[in-house]
Amino acid sequence: MLLYLGPIIFGFLTGLLLGTRINPNPESDIKFTIGSYIIIFIAALIVAWQIGPYPFYNDIAISTGFISGTVGLIVGNLLRIMVKT
Amino acid sequence: MSPILKLFAFPVSFIIISLGILTILGGHITPGGGFQGGAMVAGGVILCIIVYGINNSPIKFSHDFIAIIESVGALGFVLLGTIGLVFSGFYLYNVGTDFYGILSPAFVSMFHYPDPTNTGIVPYLNIFIGLKVLVGLSAVVIAFSQFERIKNDDSDTSVERNK
Repeated sequence: MLLYLGPIIFGFLTGLLLGTRINPNPESDIKFTIGSYIIIFIAALIVAWQIGPYPFYNDIAISTGFISGTVGLIVGNLLRIMVKT
Repeated sequence: MSPILKLFAFPVSFIIISLGILTILGGHITPGGGFQGGAMVAGGVILCIIVYGINNSPIKFSHDFIAIIESVGALGFVLLGTIGLVFSGFYLYNVGTDFYGILSPAFVSMFHYPDPTNTGIVPYLNIFIGLKVLVGLSAVVIAFSQFERIKNDDSDTSVERNK
């Protein structure tokens, strides 16, 4: 199976760039834990499955650009939290 | 805003931003592109600003971040166009596909976007436009959301001046 790397790499990089800007307010009464991000990832996986791949892409049956963007957002956010602590 | 909206907006903004990234990256092959995808990403940021307020928004774009990404978007587009001008004689020549056959294959493979379509530099142009639009539209909303504070600051200074 040949994986098309274009949307995976650039989706991850764009998501990472935006994910490092996410900084939830610790004084807010609504807290988002690690479990929240796992739920967001599962929801994103379902959305990526429903969207399907781009036309002419026949590597895997999910939208790789969408899911790599979500992974980039979550990783960027976790990186920022790790750097702060 | 109500707690339901506050609980709902942040996770949904992840999905909206990811849809924007999808639209940016599929601009050469599906409807959409850099501007549309960038506007969708900005939509996710704007949703957080409206629901949580500018001071408590979990997605914060600093002035430096906006300036850097705007500059990278504009300069990247111009740079890709200039590479075409220098090596082929045409501004924005698609050096990743080389339809006229005037460049070396090694040079063409450097700019070839890795996917099954033969689109060359078009996805890269979409990415640069997307970066520029997403911070541009977010900056507009950030500026609008702070007008009340600026107006109050101005009225305070005018009162002090009258004293």
